[in-house]
Amino acid sequence: MKARRKKLPVGGIAILLAMSLAMVGPILSVIIWAFAVKWRYPNLLPTEWGLKYWRIMLGRDTVIEPILTSLALTSVATTMAALICWPAAYAFARLQFPGRQLFLFSFIAANAVPKFALFVSIAVVFLNLNLVGTFWGVVVVQMLSAVLFMIWIPTAAFRSIPPALEEAGFDLGASHLRVFVMITLPQALPALAASYVLAFVSILFEVDSALLIGAPQITTMPLLLLSLSAQVIVQEAAVLCVMIWVPCFALLLLTRRFMSSKGIAQGFGA
Amino acid sequence: MTSDANPAGRSGAVRTMHLKENLAGLALVAAPLGLLLVLILLPTVSMVWNTFQVPVEGGTVTGIARYQAFFADSYSVANLRYTLIWTLISCVTALAISLGISLYLRFSEGRIATMIHALSLFPLFVPAIIISYALVRFLGPNGLLQLLLEQVGITGYRTPYLTPIGPFIGFVWENIPLPVLVITAGLSQVSDHAIEAARDLGAGAWRILFEILLPQVHRSLLIAFALIFLGVIGAYTVPYLLGPPAPEMMGVFMQRTLGNLQRPDEAQVQAVILMVLSSIVGGFYIATMLRGEVGRK
Repeated sequence: MKARRKKLPVGGIAILLAMSLAMVGPILSVIIWAFAVKWRYPNLLPTEWGLKYWRIMLGRDTVIEPILTSLALTSVATTMAALICWPAAYAFARLQFPGRQLFLFSFIAANAVPKFALFVSIAVVFLNLNLVGTFWGVVVVQMLSAVLFMIWIPTAAFRSIPPALEEAGFDLGASHLRVFVMITLPQALPALAASYVLAFVSILFEVDSALLIGAPQITTMPLLLLSLSAQVIVQEAAVLCVMIWVPCFALLLLTRRFMSSKGIAQGFGA
Repeated sequence: MTSDANPAGRSGAVRTMHLKENLAGLALVAAPLGLLLVLILLPTVSMVWNTFQVPVEGGTVTGIARYQAFFADSYSVANLRYTLIWTLISCVTALAISLGISLYLRFSEGRIATMIHALSLFPLFVPAIIISYALVRFLGPNGLLQLLLEQVGITGYRTPYLTPIGPFIGFVWENIPLPVLVITAGLSQVSDHAIEAARDLGAGAWRILFEILLPQVHRSLLIAFALIFLGVIGAYTVPYLLGPPAPEMMGVFMQRTLGNLQRPDEAQVQAVILMVLSSIVGGFYIATMLRGEVGRK
């Protein structure tokens, strides 16, 4: 195959162009809208650029509040999920106990339940418990979404640390805790952080839980985006998209360095 | 895999250690497992139970009247049919495109291939609500796509926005990365030698595809199909923003029934029906993975 003569890869360039248009085009149009002051048909690009709508959006309490609500909800849910999942991941990777395979498997099997239908069932239960429309009601449901990220990636991370390193620590007389803190944790930390960021971003943008459990008392950033996207003034939703998504995109790119494609695929059992 | 490799002979102490390890392990996994139990198993069971409770004078009886009502309502059935058909079409299309991209990547190297690979993974970083809104702006009337087409002289653009094609495009867009990831991983296991040998023996491209390449990724394809199906069938944001007002996908339908119409009983019936349909694919997903787990040992 490598021996093949070099020629202009016409097919490759065609695929690349088509994919650039399909993958980048939609996002690009939102980014342009966010910085457009005047963009009327049939101009290909805005006739007036500026930050006018950024000032308008950032000056509104009805915009800032949902963002703060979302950040608070997501931070609490992701952190609580991390606190219960990371120790569990360590146990799955390093300890032997009855039901280990079955339990670990049940976290993949949870992918097999259609989320929206599940949230409907949770909403009905929460309705009877007066948890609908409350902060903690939403947190608990968001934790469920986080759990699915925070078991598999960390379990794989703990598994990939050679046990010999830890055993060497024990041989030198270090305690369990000391070995964990000094040897295991530093090596697993990048993957743990990656799982945190992945869960955080996916929950931050999750519409379903906020819509079924939180609304109408709790307005989150995605719900605001949903309502703005029906507005006549296109720029408002576009500004919100760019403002929240671009930092998240940068964060996610950082985590990619710590996670192989194979690792992601394995998390789905593929 | 782990501490089972202890040398024999320290049996008493080892047994206490094992007991300790068992207890520690169970204690550490109890909390997230409890969360699954409380938030998946209990609500689902209680929901299924509720849907079979039919109100009569002075109480309830167990019966299937709620389900009969669902299937007697032509709008509900139309929504269900619409959901199933477009879920399948979206899954198959996403898989076909991903397979094409993966095959191209398998036989190409260099900068163009790297860029195509990166682009195909890009949707992993874009949440559903962002891409849905972006597609409204891109595909919608007077959107960027129409402007670009008119620049090159193509007029008469008809937008797929608010037609069944709108959410279809959204679903395909979202679901390119996962199959590309798993198929490229599978294809990379086929050695160049095997393909060259087949070619030397006179096998054509199709034969190589069906008899050498596809069998390698067969299982990955099935798992990707199941995951995409389960994600699409219950989707809310993509069909809500991009789809027609009627028929509705089940996610939108359920949300409207529960949230706007305040009819939790009907929403639960819709949810159970969706879960039962998904459980066919879900069960198949679980079975495929169990087989894989056993095979891996």
